[in-house]
Amino acid sequence: MLHKLSPSQKVLAYACLVLLAILILFPIYYMLTVSLKTNRDIYRVPSLLLPNPTLMNYVELLGRRGFAVNMRNSLIVAGSATVISVFISCLAAYSLVRLRYRGRTWIGRLILFSYLTPASLLFIPLAVIINRLQMGNTLHGLIFTYLTFAAPLSTWLLMGFFRNVPVDLEEQAMVDGATRLQALFRILLPVAAPGLVAVSVFTFTGAWNELLLALIFTTSPEIRTVPVALQYLITGDVFRWGLIMAGAVVAAVPVMTLYYLSQRFVVQGLAAGAVKT
Amino acid sequence: MQPYDERQDRDCRRNSITAKRAQWLTLPAALALVVAACATPPAAPAQPQVPAATAPPAAAEATQPPAAPQPSGKFTYWGGLIFSDVANQMLVDKITEWGKARGIEVDVVMINQNETQQKVSAAVEAGTMPDALDMGTGLMQLLAKNGQLEPLDDVFKQIGEAHGGWLESAAKSVDPARYGGSVWGIPFGLSGNLINRRHDLLSAKGFNEAPKTWEELGQMAEAVNDPPKVYGMGFALSNVGDGNLTVTMLQTWGGRIADDQGKNCTIDSPETRTFMEWITGLYKKGLFPPGVTTWDGAGDNQAYQAGQAAFIANPGSVYLNLRDNDPELLAATRFSGLPAGPKLQLQPYGPNVRAIPVTSRYKDLAKDLLMYLADDEFMKEYYANAIYGPVLNSQVDFPVFKASPIHVGLLDVAKNGTPPAFPDVDNPAYAEFNANFLIPKMIQRVVVDNVSIEDAIKETQAACQAIYDKYK
Repeated sequence: MLHKLSPSQKVLAYACLVLLAILILFPIYYMLTVSLKTNRDIYRVPSLLLPNPTLMNYVELLGRRGFAVNMRNSLIVAGSATVISVFISCLAAYSLVRLRYRGRTWIGRLILFSYLTPASLLFIPLAVIINRLQMGNTLHGLIFTYLTFAAPLSTWLLMGFFRNVPVDLEEQAMVDGATRLQALFRILLPVAAPGLVAVSVFTFTGAWNELLLALIFTTSPEIRTVPVALQYLITGDVFRWGLIMAGAVVAAVPVMTLYYLSQRFVVQGLAAGAVKT
Repeated sequence: MQPYDERQDRDCRRNSITAKRAQWLTLPAALALVVAACATPPAAPAQPQVPAATAPPAAAEATQPPAAPQPSGKFTYWGGLIFSDVANQMLVDKITEWGKARGIEVDVVMINQNETQQKVSAAVEAGTMPDALDMGTGLMQLLAKNGQLEPLDDVFKQIGEAHGGWLESAAKSVDPARYGGSVWGIPFGLSGNLINRRHDLLSAKGFNEAPKTWEELGQMAEAVNDPPKVYGMGFALSNVGDGNLTVTMLQTWGGRIADDQGKNCTIDSPETRTFMEWITGLYKKGLFPPGVTTWDGAGDNQAYQAGQAAFIANPGSVYLNLRDNDPELLAATRFSGLPAGPKLQLQPYGPNVRAIPVTSRYKDLAKDLLMYLADDEFMKEYYANAIYGPVLNSQVDFPVFKASPIHVGLLDVAKNGTPPAFPDVDNPAYAEFNANFLIPKMIQRVVVDNVSIEDAIKETQAACQAIYDKYK
């Protein structure tokens, strides 16, 4: 595309791209620089440069404050919620899309409805349920809770992806002797892989960033996830910006890595899910 | 949709899938919800044998672990997480030490005070309240009114007797006559706003003493105002707790939120008009930093710590931050009580209390702990690291209340401060009024939306009355 442009048009195009990149990258740059400043410099030297760069925020965060434990907790919770949610959702979406039975349409709508209910309305009933299941202040309690939000969204998204896969592919497999489950796992899911990846990334990111429920359902420091640990760096009217930004940088690494590795699938998946056939 | 459905129908017919066979695929998700809904609550552990440990703290510390049987389950305490990590750790260590002395396994969890309300709301419903916890008197009132707290009159009396009596401010903050007939919380520290001022800038303009009145403060602020480098008035005018300092300001002008019965709003008054003319006038002169109407709770701290505000009101977190990170700015800072208005001088204190939920499995043990935590030796060190004023007469002479400028101010607040809401009535309607930030909003209507002072007052009066009517 760019090679068809005149030199002046190319300059303009690159200038626009650079401007866009600056706009997008500036918050990340700012986050990084604040994380590398001393507490005094953050307030008293409002420079975008680093007059006295220091790793003290990272040292305190990962050392004395044990942020690695919070990272581990978030990886366990978000990873487990993603795997379980995508598995359940594959079965549910397949059922709703490919099979015909009474109430199917209503089940599909109810799934969406359950996802649309705000967490702020549900957190107290969920707290009661979690307590009755004796899963309060546990990581598996959080995983279970996140499934109640992640599974409906994943199911709804996967329904869109599955609809775009021609049913003839599965029929061919079944004519050749495959069972329905074999057709699902060996034919449909590989074809819908971009969609699965996209759904997995969304589910993981949602669980990774979730704050309200984690804040309510966990109390012990060793159970806290990353968003809760970051929230605990704000006490009263005091924001420890250096530590908060260092935590944000560290917490962004897994999600950024995930997006980097799966960006091609995510784009494909989004495009596929966006178009009905 | 239609072509797709036709394919589905064909598919279903061809494979003779029955409804029963199909539905198993959606079962896992449904099953999880059913299990959750049908699960029975865990059986509540039996009330354990309680050690006979209701002696005063000094004696309690020396006692041996009681011979009573080990209670089943942990004793849980939710401490209020404050800015000082040292003070937080001291509380954890002290309660752990108590647990060891009593032979009880304790679980001390420091809960961020910003989230206490949400945590408690969920815990009350879920039946997971701790055995004792720290809170402010606002939440204490709410929980007590709903029958969620254990009366602590006996503990309050015993601690007072063991420590030379309660300071009047602490006693008033949990006065049974004001708060539902019983003492629902044991005060352990008084918070209060102090004026932090840039003495270096002010003394250069000839102002060496603290402002005695708000109007004088405004004049001093105007003298050092040098935007965008320094703004005179670093007071929040936004919808956050700090913004409600304007309620105190209004009251010092003689304005009132409601009548003496706490039933009808009285915002629409000549005193309110005079106050509004003063504060909006300062805003229009450019004495407030940009964005002050949308600041979060840390906006004033950040403006002062960045050297961009000459005056702020702060309960002590800025002092601690400057002490640890910016001694230069600390040396240029002076602390003083809130100035007087034309009619009154108010210095509201905010009590912090320890309370015991009615659902506590270990009520007597929890009472014993509250007495243990009132130990003077512990509190002497605790106050040195936390930013609270004293609550007991035995604490008044602690060295920190003579050495640290912020603690000197907090001692003054504890001795001479005014109860929360005074001269208004501290009731649920007043609490809701403050929670809606109606006075900061009234100011915003004038300085942001360009509504006339008269109209802004009338709007606020109507909104206030709507709140108070709910509680009639």
